[in-house]
Amino acid sequence: MVDSAGILAQPFMQRALLGGLLTGGLGGLLGSFAVLRQLSFFSDALGHSALLGVSIGILLGINPTLVLIPFAVLFALLVNQLVERSKLPADALLNIVYSSSLAFAVVALSLVETYRGGIQQLLFGDILGIGWLDLGVIALLLLGAVLYLVLSMRAQVLLTLNSDFAGAFGVGANWHRIAFIVLLAVVVAVSIKAVGVLLISAFVVIPACAGRLLSRRFPIYVLSSALLGGGCALLGLFASGLTNLPSGPCVVIVQFSGFMLVLLFKAIF
Amino acid sequence: MDNSVLRVENLSVRRDGQLVVDGVNFELLSESDTALVGPNGAGKSSLVAALLGLLPRLTGEVFVMGHRLGPTGELPHGVRSQIAYLPQSFALRGRFPLSVAEFVAFGFDPPGPRLPWRNRSKRRKAVLVALARTGSSKLGAKLLSELSGGELKRVLLAFCVVRPRKLLLLDEAQAGLDATASEQFQELLLQLRRQEGWTVLQVSHDLEMVRRSCDQVLCLNRYLRCSGPPSHALNPQRLAELYGPNVVAYQHQHHG
Repeated sequence: MVDSAGILAQPFMQRALLGGLLTGGLGGLLGSFAVLRQLSFFSDALGHSALLGVSIGILLGINPTLVLIPFAVLFALLVNQLVERSKLPADALLNIVYSSSLAFAVVALSLVETYRGGIQQLLFGDILGIGWLDLGVIALLLLGAVLYLVLSMRAQVLLTLNSDFAGAFGVGANWHRIAFIVLLAVVVAVSIKAVGVLLISAFVVIPACAGRLLSRRFPIYVLSSALLGGGCALLGLFASGLTNLPSGPCVVIVQFSGFMLVLLFKAIF
Repeated sequence: MDNSVLRVENLSVRRDGQLVVDGVNFELLSESDTALVGPNGAGKSSLVAALLGLLPRLTGEVFVMGHRLGPTGELPHGVRSQIAYLPQSFALRGRFPLSVAEFVAFGFDPPGPRLPWRNRSKRRKAVLVALARTGSSKLGAKLLSELSGGELKRVLLAFCVVRPRKLLLLDEAQAGLDATASEQFQELLLQLRRQEGWTVLQVSHDLEMVRRSCDQVLCLNRYLRCSGPPSHALNPQRLAELYGPNVVAYQHQHHG
């Protein structure tokens, strides 16, 4: 066991904590809308597809980080089209997409000798390896997401409630739906390094579900989801540093514990 | 024409590969209350969706307050903000953390990006008035997802009346309301027309209400079968053409 002051003094830990706060906040913020729009499974599929993006980058000899964002955006738009045009239920389609992309990605990565050891890192993330450039990108993304969601709050809420109703009252429903999906794809792609493919959907879904149970006003719901996301990430990383356990899973365990506490609180009061 | 609020010319609409509205023409004049009637699957909701720009038009033109509706529903913000719509269904899945007052407040803002805290006190006053007008004052603090079907209809109407508008499209908005709430609803529509100059187009299956309240009827069954004042459009012969002979018998019995 390491002492807490010692952990906080480490520069890599300081970056990790800041990264966790920003990534967790961003996940909670977008998650608050994604959960209401029933896009939880969509974010999971995006996370799994990111692994395919990484493997394509490696096979082509391009830096995977550069491939990841355009791949995730393209993938999200294609899947969105597939869900809208197909007569099949969205959850079944997303299941096909995410399990297939995971299978392709693992096969592709196993062909690259040097990358076999990196799969673990991709699956569960390596927030301790986060650099200042990554932090800058995440901070910019958070700022952009806050600006977009605040300025289009009316459109986002009406669209979440009923897209025809929103359209009738002047909301460019298609435009906002695509903009949100692209934003979600970029956030997932950027957060993969820190959070990992398997755990990214927890960052989007768990804080938002806890916030949804706690709030009776929409701004409070969005804010509480973002704060819970950031707060749980901080606490989880700190616990990971103290116990030397894997960081991503520690954060998700803290998020889950928080969610259970909220459930318990709602059951009592 | 100066007092034309909505003009529809040769409108055809296709939905899921089927022609559901075929060559429809009509015009709504200011302060009129028009009923759109017809059997299930006659294309009424599709027609309303096309008028709002929610469904693409196969042929024809729609003019709202003199402005041409674009192919994908484009209208100037100033015109769009004068249109209100009450959908047939408004299903909410699970707990939705949005209070009724917050929801109605979103109706106050015109389309386009803006800071949510702008015009806060004006918006709050308008919400209180809208809730009072629709008999929903006690619902302000409730969550939207906690409302009954009838309460939700009233709150949706509050969303529509929270700012001045010119055109209200109702798609079976009174279905699910009890008799008193339905009467109050019609009373409010009349008030909005007479005092504030609103024009109403309502899809309805309640032919008795249509006879009492509307001044024009459009009978639709893919194409416009008949139109005119209720006494003309809802006569037994025309109803038989539209719905089949059973409805005519029912109408005769009802009026003795």
